[in-house]
Amino acid sequence: MNLGWRLGVLAVAFATLFAVLTLRLWSIQVTAATEYEEAAQNNLVKFVDTPAPRGQIRDINGMLLADNRNARVAVIEGALVSPAGQDQLVRNLAAFSGRTAAEIEEDVEEARRRGDRIVIVPELTAEQVVFLAEHPEDFVGVRIVETPVRVYVNGELAPDVLGYIGRPDADDLEKPGIKPTDVLGKAGVEREYDGVIRGKSGRIKYRINARGEILDQLGEQLPTPGSTVILTIDSPIQEVLNTSLAQGLTLARELHQPGGCIPREQDPGCPVRATGVVLDVTDGSVLAMSSVPAFDPNIFVDGVSEQEWARLNSQAVFNNFAIQGLYAPASAFKTVAYIAALEESIFPAGVTADNETYTCDGLLEFRFNDGSPQLYQDWLAAGHGPIDLHGGLQASCDLYFWEIALKIWNGRNSEFEQDLLQQWARKFGFDKTSGIDLPFERRGLIPDEDWFTTAQEETPQLVRDTPWAGGDVMNIVIGQGSVLATPLQLANAYAAMVNGGTVWQPRVVDRVETPDGTVLDNPPFAASRVELNERTGELLRFDLQQVVNGPSGTARTAFANFGENIELVGGKTGTGEVIKATAENPDEVDNAIFVGVAPINDPKYVVVVIIERGGSGGRIAAPTAARVLQFLLNGPEGVTDVGTGEEAD
Amino acid sequence: MALTTRRTEPVTILQRERSLRPDLFLVLPYLALAALGIVMVYTASAPRNELLGIDPGSTVRRHIVFVVVGFGVFIVSSLVGGRTLRGLSIPFYAGSVAALGLVLAIGRELKGAQRWIQIGPLQLQPSEFAKIAVILALAVLLANAGSALKWTHIAVAVVLVGAPAVLIFLQPDLGTMLVFAFVSVIMLFVGGTTLRQLAFIVLAAFVSAVALFQVGAIEQYQIQRVTSFLDGGADRENANYNHLQSQIAIGSGGFFGKGLFAEDATQTNLSFVPEQSSDFIFTAVGEQLGFVGGSIVLGLYAMIVWRLLVAAANGRDRFSQMVAVGIAALLVFHVFVNVGMTLRMIPVTGLPLPFLSAGGTFFIAMSLGLGLAHSVWMRRSPVPDE
Repeated sequence: MNLGWRLGVLAVAFATLFAVLTLRLWSIQVTAATEYEEAAQNNLVKFVDTPAPRGQIRDINGMLLADNRNARVAVIEGALVSPAGQDQLVRNLAAFSGRTAAEIEEDVEEARRRGDRIVIVPELTAEQVVFLAEHPEDFVGVRIVETPVRVYVNGELAPDVLGYIGRPDADDLEKPGIKPTDVLGKAGVEREYDGVIRGKSGRIKYRINARGEILDQLGEQLPTPGSTVILTIDSPIQEVLNTSLAQGLTLARELHQPGGCIPREQDPGCPVRATGVVLDVTDGSVLAMSSVPAFDPNIFVDGVSEQEWARLNSQAVFNNFAIQGLYAPASAFKTVAYIAALEESIFPAGVTADNETYTCDGLLEFRFNDGSPQLYQDWLAAGHGPIDLHGGLQASCDLYFWEIALKIWNGRNSEFEQDLLQQWARKFGFDKTSGIDLPFERRGLIPDEDWFTTAQEETPQLVRDTPWAGGDVMNIVIGQGSVLATPLQLANAYAAMVNGGTVWQPRVVDRVETPDGTVLDNPPFAASRVELNERTGELLRFDLQQVVNGPSGTARTAFANFGENIELVGGKTGTGEVIKATAENPDEVDNAIFVGVAPINDPKYVVVVIIERGGSGGRIAAPTAARVLQFLLNGPEGVTDVGTGEEAD
Repeated sequence: MALTTRRTEPVTILQRERSLRPDLFLVLPYLALAALGIVMVYTASAPRNELLGIDPGSTVRRHIVFVVVGFGVFIVSSLVGGRTLRGLSIPFYAGSVAALGLVLAIGRELKGAQRWIQIGPLQLQPSEFAKIAVILALAVLLANAGSALKWTHIAVAVVLVGAPAVLIFLQPDLGTMLVFAFVSVIMLFVGGTTLRQLAFIVLAAFVSAVALFQVGAIEQYQIQRVTSFLDGGADRENANYNHLQSQIAIGSGGFFGKGLFAEDATQTNLSFVPEQSSDFIFTAVGEQLGFVGGSIVLGLYAMIVWRLLVAAANGRDRFSQMVAVGIAALLVFHVFVNVGMTLRMIPVTGLPLPFLSAGGTFFIAMSLGLGLAHSVWMRRSPVPDE
């Protein structure tokens, strides 16, 4: 029996096992002790972010437009959910909230993965609060928090300017410091000034146990509320603009079809929307900006039914058409050529001065340099008779301005630069973004030969294949063809035209007030200056006044019932062709445009109104703008309902 | 083996009785571990029970009952003579296998494993007693075989171990199966297998394990425990969470530990370590008593194992020797696998720590085994002179 050596081997083997355990114990408990001590500490401490209330938004008079209220919401704290209790928790929460277990599970998983909080029930009733408080053991990881919730006082007053809020998208998340649970500005001032409005979230440091239950609070860093943003928007003006646009749109629909119409594909002539801007020409402040139909930004906080969402979306109400809508400015653009004519002495062939008459007989027969015969028809078939430059603008005679374009085109290789007209347009801010402090502004377009040839190469399906021609310049001069501008661009150009040549960078925010009382100004900023003779400005103001007040003015009828101070109003109508009349569809569809200026002797306001598919500018846009001008000059008592004007370009 | 002088006088019954002295180097460490176990079970279970809203002392009170019963079993089994035991071995083995079958038939589901038989208020885990039964049966086999082990003996051994092992595998309880494998290999080795026979057994066991794995007979959670361990600290929220928390608990204890009931022994007090009063009891020792406490505990086990090997060396017959070796192997395997698991050297297997872990059947079964081995020492050959 050789038990001896076998037991010996066994003893050595067992001793080795014990030695291994002891060495391992040593290496963990003595060599690497600090590391594990830290790990043990970190087990116990969890950080939870507390959202900061977003800053208020007020109008220039201090009136509150966007504020916060406190809502009691049930949140799941991802950091506090214990893996073991998760299934039970999901079941309890599903029963409690009435949501499906799958939804809850997804939220809980998400919260855990991010170690962050996710709202499970947005707005708890008093009974729900009591229930949660009485059953903490069934809802480990769920907390009731007072959360600031955005509320837009007077929701529909200025949604285009205020914008709305929402969860960050993939792009937002790439920015530093943005968490998926944050709420960000998605449009308007909420977006543009998100950095100052959002504030800084606070943190609470908790000591917890393994089941995620909070033992005590170790520290708290309070959230820093967002700063208050004060807009240049003047609520009473904004209010009048809103109601005027609404009345104008309703009236335009009534005119299209008695009893009104609903915009849809089968009815292309039904007016789609009305957009307006009121600009202070002395400093570029936006006093009012809106489009109708509008939306209530509160729906981005409180939610909205799917049908309602689909309806709003189909009307594209969430876009700010004052800076995103692109329209042919049509005859309202004639002031560009008017100023160029005065400044550069460009008049129809045979005319040498601005007050020399030219016979406008309604039909323009001419030949381009290449000898091709052309026939152009004025919007007023009978013509306007003998008129000078001033009469041409007042009555909006196409022929006179076509002659100017022809003069430039024919003299393009000697007397004039070929894109002289476009240069003047660009001086007044067309063909580039105005730089307003709002997101998503579009730049519009002033076409020229370079653009045209590029377009022929890149998007041949959108332009014809013959070369750039005199007819293109003749289209530009009356603001048609490929000319596109936003309502704001149009307003800002007129502001520069009537204020002596200062092109402002428009602004909707006047200043920002931080929570500690510091005021950060957003002063007016002159983007550029256009050198103009004083006489040019005087003549323009006079002629604009005559558009409204003169015997042949295209807005004369529209302003017939204006009331007092009508002599202080100037303006220009425009009718932008959208769909040409054809044999099977005899009704031409036009955008109605009006730009108003007041007081014309010392301009302060420019009002732009565009009614998409509204028809003639003189007939529907001018009366709509008139109501706003009534308010600006005569106060609330001076305002009358929008009526129709005369069918005029 | 030390030679002793030949006894000349006949040994009377009375003298025999008087010579039954306990081995204090075995009994005292056993009692020390049991006492420490009571304290540790309390520190590990009280805060958790409080959290669950039940009486904090309930777990430890249950444990104390088992410790008292277990100590009684230890004393009684220490007094059982080798011949009596040998006679009881085969019936005990048969009873155990039958009980395992019973577990499968009526045992109830518990954490994915059927291990319990409910007898009134008592939950019995036959697999714990089966460990002792297999040791006894193997000891009988090896004693009959003599020093030259034939392949037929090996075949019988495989059947003896295999019968309960298969039943346990069906429960399924991987840890206990490994206990059987380890203990039987050690016993066969000491019992006199040739190295070739030993190599064959080990190889066969390995091949059959792989085969079982391949046909998918091994449960998914068992694979997961092993693979999550091999992945390292990647996913602390799943199977590896237990492991990591236990390592943190021990590591944060440092050299002297945080002290019993210490406020900052947070891994224990705040219940970060799962199943701490049973399988992970060593983490409570490690966090609260540090390296000093942990190594003393290991030392106490080492001392018991040493005494068991000494008992084996002095066993009066081959059966007694093999019983002592088997119990020693059982103890070593449990300690190494359990402590190794809490130190994150070995996957989580669910083997408790002898004499420390809460868990009634196991404490009683281990006391029984220790008592039988103790009896071997007390009846050692030749009994030293008074």
